[in-house]
Amino acid sequence: MSLTVALSKGKLLAGSEALFRKAGLPFPVGEGRKLVVPIDGLRFLFVKDMDVPTYVEYGVADCGVAGRDVLLEMASDVYELLDLGFGRCRLVVARPGAAADPRRASTLRVATKYPRVAGAHFLEHGISAEVVKLSGSVELAPGLGLADCIVDVVETGRTLEENGLLAVEEVAASSARLIVNRASYHARRDEVSRLVETLRRASA
Amino acid sequence: MNGTPHRLVQVPPGVQCFVGDEARRRRLIEHRVVSVFQGWDYEEIIPPLYDYADVFAGPSLETKTYSFVGRDGSLLALRPDFTSLLAKIAAGRLADRPAPIRLYYSGEVLRYEPPKAGRQSELFQMGLELLGGEGRGADVEVLAIAAECLDALGARGWVAALGHVGIFAGLVAGCGLEGGRLEALRERVEAKDSAGVREALSGSGAPAALAEAIVCLARLAGDVSVLGEAQRALSSSPAAVGALGELAEVVKALSEAGLGSHLAIDLGEVRGLDYYTGLVFRAYAPGLGFEVGGGGRYDALLGRFGRPMPAVGFMLGLDRVALLLERQGALPDAVGPQAESVAGGDLGASLLRARERRAAGARVRFS
Repeated sequence: MSLTVALSKGKLLAGSEALFRKAGLPFPVGEGRKLVVPIDGLRFLFVKDMDVPTYVEYGVADCGVAGRDVLLEMASDVYELLDLGFGRCRLVVARPGAAADPRRASTLRVATKYPRVAGAHFLEHGISAEVVKLSGSVELAPGLGLADCIVDVVETGRTLEENGLLAVEEVAASSARLIVNRASYHARRDEVSRLVETLRRASA
Repeated sequence: MNGTPHRLVQVPPGVQCFVGDEARRRRLIEHRVVSVFQGWDYEEIIPPLYDYADVFAGPSLETKTYSFVGRDGSLLALRPDFTSLLAKIAAGRLADRPAPIRLYYSGEVLRYEPPKAGRQSELFQMGLELLGGEGRGADVEVLAIAAECLDALGARGWVAALGHVGIFAGLVAGCGLEGGRLEALRERVEAKDSAGVREALSGSGAPAALAEAIVCLARLAGDVSVLGEAQRALSSSPAAVGALGELAEVVKALSEAGLGSHLAIDLGEVRGLDYYTGLVFRAYAPGLGFEVGGGGRYDALLGRFGRPMPAVGFMLGLDRVALLLERQGALPDAVGPQAESVAGGDLGASLLRARERRAAGARVRFS
């Protein structure tokens, strides 16, 4: 039985493909929108980035590539064996540059795609926050009056700037990680460790 | 559908209902496991369904316990696990019994847990405790029973991943980390994230040799040859080396008994540090993405109940065993028994015939 690898269809896809090619591993080409692709002893699943840890935690995939930001949010019980080095970004708190320190507000309203991370962050800092879960375009929320600030990932900071937002605090740094299912790690040790070592050499 | 409120049709999330083949299979699995327990001279204990909430106090279970207030105002809790209950009973009701006490249980526990990855709120656990079980002999006994259970169930390719919490505990003892920072470190070791472990240690003032050894825990996992590598990597901590020696002794005995190919070493297995004190293990098998069971040594628990003594135990989750066997195509045959009918004619005469046939061992359907 071949190993199953869960990959994100989103922003980590290009980096994952480059890594697999560099490592001399097979990677599907021109398969269009197929979501399950078996190729040369590996089976690839292409899923939404927030879903990669879930597929791996349940063992539907033996391993996968997921951002640390997503792993923090999903809190999945998986092994994070390698920092693959690409997909670097920061999870930050950002707010309108002109606004007064929103911490003076009795309850801070925070828009985010990362409700768990955001909630834990403000709780840890003793700030009572109302978390508004969004699925995208989070940076619009403060300007439209939906929230006082946002917790979101930034790479270059340009999107924040275009929306008049200022990153005021880093919550976590993120990059792509190779994650492995706990049972696969032990019960399919030889195959898994071969794949991990191949990817480790390629990402070094 | 027809206007009946869903609460009168469905069971709530987290609990399950079994009937027919499924129910028969679960009983068959339970029977096989319990037969192994009995073969090792363990005695069944049927503990209460609820007890005082204090019994289950402790950071790992507290937040998952269904508790309620009794008529007299005392705080009670539905049992979230068996081990604490058995420890209490061994220290109290069975105080006169000399150690070691060998007890097994088979039944439901209840935990406030969102249904996820093979976990329900209502879990059926089959397990045993060797209370007063000292030394490596007891560790080996419990692991050998776990192995025999998995074989008796027909599970293929299973692996018991062995760790020892004394290794991590020994290494961090000299690092001056506590509270949230220690938990953050433990969590990164558990995730086998070397870079994250390094980050969690940075600025802790941990001596370089110890810090390097802790980073190594993230990769000290694999077949039993890892033990040799660990010996070198952990040499800076006598406590860790001592714990490693215990682990090596257990591995040696099990290997001599032909179980070596089923063993894995995982020194990054650092869960339940508030509870376990020595050997810990989890059993995995191809086809199931999470462990089918596990256990370990918990020498500090019985002291809480006033009878300090070492102890070691393990349990298998029935739902997970059933799921594993299903995935491996190894579910026990659960064909329902055939019944004969005694219907028809005079009721009294039929009753007599039914009694005769049942006495002869038949399964009889009346009327």
